[in-house]
Amino acid sequence: MLFNNFQWSQKIMRYQHIPIIILTLLAFLLFLPDQSFGQQHTVQGTVNDQNGEPLPGVNITVKGTTRGTSTNSEGMYELTVPSASDTLVFSFIGFETQEIPIDGRNMIDVNLTPATLAGEEVVVVGYGTQQQEDLTGSISRIETEEITRQSSLTAMESLQGKITGVNVINNDAPGGTPTVILRGLGTALGGRNPLYIVDGVPVDDINNISPSDIESIDFLKDASAASIYGLRAANGVIIVTTKDGEGGAPQFEVSSSAGYTSVLNSVEMADQQEYITYFNEENAAIGGFQLAPSQQYNTDWYDELLETGYVIDSRASVSGGSENVNYFVSYNVNQEKGLLDEQTFWRQTLRNNNKYWLFNDVVEIDQNLSISVSRENPQPFSAFNTAYRQSPLVPTFYPNGRYGQPFVNETTGKMGYEGGEGEAIGRLNTHGNPLTAIAFNNQERNTVTLQGALSAKINFTDYLTFTSRLGGTKYYSDSRTFNPLKQGWIASDPTRTATQYETSKAENPGVTDWADNSLFVQNLERFRWNWDNFITFDKSFDRHNTELTLGMSSERIGVGSTFSGTAYDVPQQEQYWNLNLGSDDYEKQVNHTNFTPSTLASYFGRIQYNYDQRYYITGTLRRDGTSQFANTEDYWEFFPSVGLGWTLSNEDFMSDNEFIDFLKLRGSWGRLGNQNVPLNTTVIYTSTGSSSQNYVFGPAQTLRFGASVGSPARDISWEIVEEWNAGVDMEILDSRLSTSLDFYQKTTENVILLVNPLPDSPYAESFYDHGGEVVNQGVEVGLDWSNSISEELSYNVGVNFSYNQNEVTNVAAGYEGLTGGGLGNGQITKRLEEGQPLGAWWMYEAEGVWQTQEQIDNNPSLGGAMPGHLRYRDLNEDGVIDERDKRFFGSYVPNYNYGINIGLNYRQFDFSMDGFGVGGNKVYNGLNNTRFGGENTTRDMFEKRWTGEGSTNTHPGANRDARASSYYLEDGAYFRINNITLGYSLPEIIDRVSRVRFYVSAENPVLLTGYSGFTPELIGSDNGNPYGTAGIELSAYPNTRTLLFGINIDLK
Amino acid sequence: MNTPKKIPFLLFLTFLLVGCGEDFLNVNSRERVAAVDQEEIYRPDEFVIGVYGNFTEWEYAFSWLGVTEIISDNADKGSSPSDTGTDKHLLDNLQFSSTAPSIQAMWTIWYKTIGRATNAIEYTESFGLSDEAYKNRLIGEARFLRALSYFYLVRYFGDVPLQQEDLTQRVPEEEVYEFIISDLESAIASLPLKSEYPTDELGRATRGAAQALLSKVYLERENWSEAVNYADQVINSGEYGLEPNYEEIWREHSENGIESIFEIQARGESTAHGVQQYSQTQGARGPSGWGWGFNTPTQDLVEAYDSEGDEIRKNATIIFAGETLWDGREVSENVENPRYNEKAYSSANAGAADSDKNIRVLRYAEVLLIKAEAANELGNTGAALDALNQVRERVELDPVTTSDQAQLRRAIWKERRLELAFEHDRWFDLLRTGQAGEVMRAHGKDFVDGKHELFPIPEEQLRQTPEMRQNPGY
Repeated sequence: MLFNNFQWSQKIMRYQHIPIIILTLLAFLLFLPDQSFGQQHTVQGTVNDQNGEPLPGVNITVKGTTRGTSTNSEGMYELTVPSASDTLVFSFIGFETQEIPIDGRNMIDVNLTPATLAGEEVVVVGYGTQQQEDLTGSISRIETEEITRQSSLTAMESLQGKITGVNVINNDAPGGTPTVILRGLGTALGGRNPLYIVDGVPVDDINNISPSDIESIDFLKDASAASIYGLRAANGVIIVTTKDGEGGAPQFEVSSSAGYTSVLNSVEMADQQEYITYFNEENAAIGGFQLAPSQQYNTDWYDELLETGYVIDSRASVSGGSENVNYFVSYNVNQEKGLLDEQTFWRQTLRNNNKYWLFNDVVEIDQNLSISVSRENPQPFSAFNTAYRQSPLVPTFYPNGRYGQPFVNETTGKMGYEGGEGEAIGRLNTHGNPLTAIAFNNQERNTVTLQGALSAKINFTDYLTFTSRLGGTKYYSDSRTFNPLKQGWIASDPTRTATQYETSKAENPGVTDWADNSLFVQNLERFRWNWDNFITFDKSFDRHNTELTLGMSSERIGVGSTFSGTAYDVPQQEQYWNLNLGSDDYEKQVNHTNFTPSTLASYFGRIQYNYDQRYYITGTLRRDGTSQFANTEDYWEFFPSVGLGWTLSNEDFMSDNEFIDFLKLRGSWGRLGNQNVPLNTTVIYTSTGSSSQNYVFGPAQTLRFGASVGSPARDISWEIVEEWNAGVDMEILDSRLSTSLDFYQKTTENVILLVNPLPDSPYAESFYDHGGEVVNQGVEVGLDWSNSISEELSYNVGVNFSYNQNEVTNVAAGYEGLTGGGLGNGQITKRLEEGQPLGAWWMYEAEGVWQTQEQIDNNPSLGGAMPGHLRYRDLNEDGVIDERDKRFFGSYVPNYNYGINIGLNYRQFDFSMDGFGVGGNKVYNGLNNTRFGGENTTRDMFEKRWTGEGSTNTHPGANRDARASSYYLEDGAYFRINNITLGYSLPEIIDRVSRVRFYVSAENPVLLTGYSGFTPELIGSDNGNPYGTAGIELSAYPNTRTLLFGINIDLK
Repeated sequence: MNTPKKIPFLLFLTFLLVGCGEDFLNVNSRERVAAVDQEEIYRPDEFVIGVYGNFTEWEYAFSWLGVTEIISDNADKGSSPSDTGTDKHLLDNLQFSSTAPSIQAMWTIWYKTIGRATNAIEYTESFGLSDEAYKNRLIGEARFLRALSYFYLVRYFGDVPLQQEDLTQRVPEEEVYEFIISDLESAIASLPLKSEYPTDELGRATRGAAQALLSKVYLERENWSEAVNYADQVINSGEYGLEPNYEEIWREHSENGIESIFEIQARGESTAHGVQQYSQTQGARGPSGWGWGFNTPTQDLVEAYDSEGDEIRKNATIIFAGETLWDGREVSENVENPRYNEKAYSSANAGAADSDKNIRVLRYAEVLLIKAEAANELGNTGAALDALNQVRERVELDPVTTSDQAQLRRAIWKERRLELAFEHDRWFDLLRTGQAGEVMRAHGKDFVDGKHELFPIPEEQLRQTPEMRQNPGY
């Protein structure tokens, strides 16, 4: 298998990675001889602080390049520069950065002045930027190094544990996308995803963007920050800024990485002998047959099913510019192969970002364009489920090449599908061979995403600008599923023959169940555009600093259509998989739908004012309209917010304080909206069959067709979120330690629920309505320490902690019926109730194991209880076990998560480590729980099982029931090392090669968890629907670990 | 650049360039046809049919058996010991709790029927029908069906919410009855006589059906004179009489016949539309069988017939293992249960999912027995004996002659049991007459006085409306 992978990867290398590898080599060869021709100019000098003391460790770079050095312990430096007309940049933590043109000089001494404020970081606030220190809201920023330190398909994956208040739940399947929750779940059924803004263009996700193209990501967490995007900001706003050209001579960056992927946390299943014991104990209890002690096969299904996956990623970019144009062009190809056979994901992206300055810089034009092409061959995750359940006694293949199946001779107790006269052949269980699900699955999805934006900014004066920006995203996808029905039918029973199938096929003309194969194809296209216009006034009058932004935005989303069709009996070969080549013996099905688009219109204004960088006030007002509420014509809503800030460290009374470098208090309040709410329509039921709308009258009993109302549509409007935030930012010890602390309370005032109609109400169908409040409140703490011990050794440590408490309150009378978390066997695990978190667990409480029948007879029990079954608590002590004895057990969403990030630079070595943990949640092991008879079990469950009276009062026996109970609800806490990277950069040996870095990186090397399944990170179905299977392991893709090797080369 | 003068222009440009008004936000629907573009208009009759239709739901085929007969001394759960029918064993043994699915299902189906009726009434009233009599008839039909559903609810649960008023508050029984009586009085005023319906509309609610039901409601309320009054209106209408041969009441040819006052209609031919699996759930189980074998007559019921020497009704009501049915079907000796309910047997469809078996809800014999009981309570022994003996005469039993009020009362109660067994009335009768505790305990079931007179309000309801009171003992 490994060998096959290798061939596979070679094939890919041949097609996609070769150009970049050639480019890499060419760069070496082309620029190697240049070394001796370079113009040499040497600059030296000393860097002192404001008191004339020498500063060691100051970074000195040539502007526009990565070439540089740092001062020694006497504060002295020496640097060879390409040209005497270059500019040097002197930077040091806690000091103002200075840029000094060389102007032909050989000696430049510099006095750095301490930074009056913390850093000079600029953050994106939506329709503009702001100095970090001027913020009144809560915004976290992540920059390119943090994103690209680990290889990932989408940027959000690498951000787990790096930002306070942002909970990223990863999915390690190839092409899998993480779920991102900012400051807790606020909505049950409306859109739960945060809003992404890429270079000013609102989008649903950033899966089409190569992480290496991203300059920065800003998380607008509180209402003061996010309300400028009012109507869709309720779940937070994530602003992504892609890279711009750096200006100057072209700079090339080339990098490539490759690695192998395996299961991080595998679960040991029972083996042959253990299975036989377990099976026989179970069957003894229920009066079934016994398996013979000696059997032929001992299959480890996970061994058979799982392969080593791999990841290959290659990137190349060039950036540069002249006086009037800057450009950035990048290309990225990413190839992943998953743990299952032929499970692949492949994506290429091409980006071009240009910036033009026209008419003496009066007009600034920004153009972004990205093309992303992907191809995906998914495999059904149900194979993980079947591998868990299928018996080790079943062979992968019988000696005759047929797929193994759980057939057993019940008379002899031996496995096999053949039996002598009078012998009964049965099945151990209802599951098939896990390998068939993979072998007969044939899916492919291709997508193309074109995304671009064009904006023009007119600088009327240095304080008044007008910006107009047009953005659009076009998405195409085509997918197909080929299902070889005949082969599948034959494979599911070794005694079946093709002749039998053909006989049935002939007897059932036109019945698609007996077609040889089916082909389903689907094409989908979508388009969205937005147009923003705004003016910005930014001027300081003496100590009064003001900025005013006024604008409007219009947007149209979801313009598009989908076409799909199914045909049967197409030729076997892939090249002929056209609907048109399907057999005419079967009716083809064709579907076509034009989507109803939605439109959004908004007017917004924001004023930011501060006096002397001490007292800050920010006010935002946005008026939003959405076509979503066309049925009520109640389109419009106002979203105001206000933020206040006070920088104490800029006050006179603090100026003498040596300890505190920066101290700021912030507070904000605002309202945000969510318009992504479910469509709600009144349905009138009619039928032409035997349904309860119809009735018969008269002696002739003619069927008369009637009608009934399902449930009337409620007038659904915005989900409104009101949020308070208070925070403090502080830097101490020469700004080496920086910390920020935020408290927030976020209330979704009118959350939309799927309401089960009251039994005594007139209505039969569930309907959507505003029905309660969801309160999220929490604390976020971030702490960063960075220090340079010497010019050769510097390090930084960052830790962050976020705590969020989620509670549903004020549920409307009669609206508490929402249940969910179905396990697929009729059992549910979640329910909505006031005072509980959204998606709270709700089930029986296991309180032991029935030891004897007598015990069952003398105590309240559920019907069918037997010794060895779990015993459930009679919570209300009424002598009967029923639904009223179920109770709540908290939520699957962690109460807290924390991250730790360590970085270390020593000479040419760089080292980093990121860890992430969560706690305060519970996850449900549905794999272990939802067991029908005759399935395999884990070794752990085998070893600790109940084996008779007195053996254990905790763990059920081999014969156990499959009711949902707290026994299978486990602590969801875990800590994982997400990434360890060790890099080595070659000393600058070649002039044109400014950096060559080799690195080795381990992703997810360590997971610490008490959870007994594959992964405690469970997004669940339906995009994390809290009442779906979120937090329940049934067919989840396991967490994986990856070992990567990579190289980065920067050329100029 | 003279910037300040350009600011108004800029503002204009910014805010008016893109005409973002309501037109922009009013997007035409493409995926589904908007209500305004839908050409289909529903006739009021369709919603009325929808009310009747709810009586053909699965609940009446299974849960209904549990809460009316299995729970009583007439029937055992039947079927295999291991097949509990979800909670039929609990009902049989009076061990049910508020989460019993059968009770929950019936509570829900009645309220959904009431909802459909109310919607049909409102729709019919506002639709603008020009034929007043037709309009009133449709409304009357819906009112009858609504009253029937409330009558079930109030007898089972006592104080119940009036759906039109408040879904979370139980109103006193008295008010529920007032509502039922007003619905029925209104229905009586607007519904035609059975003979006034065209043949192909037979099966709709009639004036006689509303009168018979109202008479039964007054009997329940022990308003004897009104019970007699409305029973007499049915009796004197000339619309009804007794089917000469008792066992033929449940044959297909007597559906909507002379004795029939109200039936749930069913159709066995394709497209079949019966009361779901009503015949199948009660069909004989095992070799030669055609059903699940639930709701089987008790030995106690057999003895009740025998004590009266009532062979005709015993044989019409009970299928015995090993018997050959009237249509020639042989029931094996080896079927799983000794007895099955013959009144649910469909000759044509036997164990089909939808059978042609109409459920007889109200028939003339019951009206006679209501009159007999009420007249006896009023001291009108002659009228009581006359009505009672009409019923006995058909099944060739000697007339009752006692003039002792208490004895006659007992005789009428017993007559009701034998005449109406497996017609879903026994449990109500036991409760109404106050015999339930005594009878059920004698039958070996732990009837708790002060608890089992009412069903528990279903848990699913209480979970969503926690302020609603539970009945005592649950």
